[in-house]
Amino acid sequence: MDSFLHRYRNLLVLLALLLAQIIGLAVQVHRTESGRNTLDPEDMSGVRLIRLWADAVVAPPEQLSHAAKLGAKGLWQNYLDLRSIRAQNQQLQKTIDRLRLEQASLLEDAKQGERLQALVDFQQKYIYKTLAAQAIGSSGSDSSRVFYIDKGSAEGLDRDMAVLTADGIVGKVREVFPHSAQVLAINDETSGAGVILETTRIRGILRGNASGRLQIVGILKDDRIKPGEKVLTAGGDLIFPRGLPVGVVEKVVPDPDRDSFIDVIVTPAAHLDRLDEVLVITSTEPRFSAEQQQDMATSETLKGAEADAIKQQQKASQIMAERLPGLTDPNAPAANPAAPGQTAQPGQTPSAPAEAPVPKLLPARHPDRFTPGATPSTGEETPAPAGLENKPDKPTQHPSGQPGRNPKP
Amino acid sequence: MSALSADYRHDLGIHHYPVLIYAMTPLAALVLQALLPRFLHGYAWFDLPLVVTVYFALVRRDPIQGMLMGGSLGIFEDALTHHAIGVNGIAKTVAGFLAGSVGVRIDVENHTIRLMLTFLLSLLCSAIYVFIYRILLGLELEWSWLAELMKAVGNSAIAAVLFPLLDRTQIKE
Repeated sequence: MDSFLHRYRNLLVLLALLLAQIIGLAVQVHRTESGRNTLDPEDMSGVRLIRLWADAVVAPPEQLSHAAKLGAKGLWQNYLDLRSIRAQNQQLQKTIDRLRLEQASLLEDAKQGERLQALVDFQQKYIYKTLAAQAIGSSGSDSSRVFYIDKGSAEGLDRDMAVLTADGIVGKVREVFPHSAQVLAINDETSGAGVILETTRIRGILRGNASGRLQIVGILKDDRIKPGEKVLTAGGDLIFPRGLPVGVVEKVVPDPDRDSFIDVIVTPAAHLDRLDEVLVITSTEPRFSAEQQQDMATSETLKGAEADAIKQQQKASQIMAERLPGLTDPNAPAANPAAPGQTAQPGQTPSAPAEAPVPKLLPARHPDRFTPGATPSTGEETPAPAGLENKPDKPTQHPSGQPGRNPKP
Repeated sequence: MSALSADYRHDLGIHHYPVLIYAMTPLAALVLQALLPRFLHGYAWFDLPLVVTVYFALVRRDPIQGMLMGGSLGIFEDALTHHAIGVNGIAKTVAGFLAGSVGVRIDVENHTIRLMLTFLLSLLCSAIYVFIYRILLGLELEWSWLAELMKAVGNSAIAAVLFPLLDRTQIKE
């Protein structure tokens, strides 16, 4: 028996397992009234217990797997988001940097535009011919207050041309190169400009001192000079035109070298330490606007017409004087040959009465007692001897001022 | 001929594995069999508990151990469904018995033989399943031989990868 069991042990176990499971299946299936087999809709307690065990075995790993999947998905999603956010952050940072640069550039452009607009306005109002230039460099030394502009001889610049801004004068062109020029600022010690105080009309010489400040030297003590008074160019230095703003009086200090003299410290009107755009006066010949030129042409035209009218009037007067019996001797030499029309004529008012020639009375053909000059004055009246006559070479004038006729000899 | 006898082979090579492998491999097969079909959406052409049953029945050269493992895994598989419990248990019990019985008679180190055996036992399990469900129990079941064939191929493919991996975990004596 033992050998049988041992020999067929495997088969016996197989049969036992199959039989047990078949029985288990049999209890789960029941026959319906229609003769068909079907599973119970509700599990038996044993089947339910087995399902519960299976679920207890499989569910935790499944939950763990699901949680791990969610975690990995979330981690991956977060990683992707983080990467995208990082990339987006970098992109935004780049955008911010770029916008900042653009903003700074636009701000600078706007400021430059304002300055240029003011300069253009000034240039349009200014009567002299000017050339706009850009300050491009400096000397790099405090002892040499010069700077360089981007216009040179090729653009028409020359030495000693005045350089200014809309605020005031800046300096003068010291050296000219083909496409650049060196400008000596007015606050340099070697510079000089004739200036005048606006209110007191006191003149002086403007120059810079060692510290780069502007001062007017060579002025006698004058209590009328007060801080705040405007300083203008005097126009006597042949560089700066007259009337350009230079600055305002900051304070008055005594001249250390001369007792009776003072130095006037001036705050420059132009920002000499922040120069960007300047104007160079290229010609001191007046530059008029179109309206001004039209006005001048109109004025010239009117002047010409007036002169023609005057000429024609003079001509007509002359003709009339020739035709009418005149008070003047046509053969007599004219007192002012250049102005024959100024001869006194009836109905014409001489333009220069003080210089009008005294008309010479013609001698009367038949002098009588009414002839001007024939009757002597009361004091001088003496019986004239027979045969005596008035001298024709001494013409007299009627007391009323009316011209008369001299008796003819 | 003596070299091919069962006793000779049985005595020659019974593979031993760590307890963790014995415990975790069937459990992992059950969990993955329940988990993976969710992601493969109808393309889950494999039966991992059957593959594990065949492997351990072969390498252990013990039909009883194969039957117990196959029956247990089959019952657990059935328990995870709404079908009758025991159909897969019977099928895998038979598969474990056959694999364990064949293991004592063939060279279990040969991969081709193991894959062919897995393929055949997969088809046999499917046949037993259908037989029990439709004939023995008289229940309605829609099935396709092509699907069962694909499942057998899938089991063989998995076995081709899984068996060498499990071989590496055996304890060398």
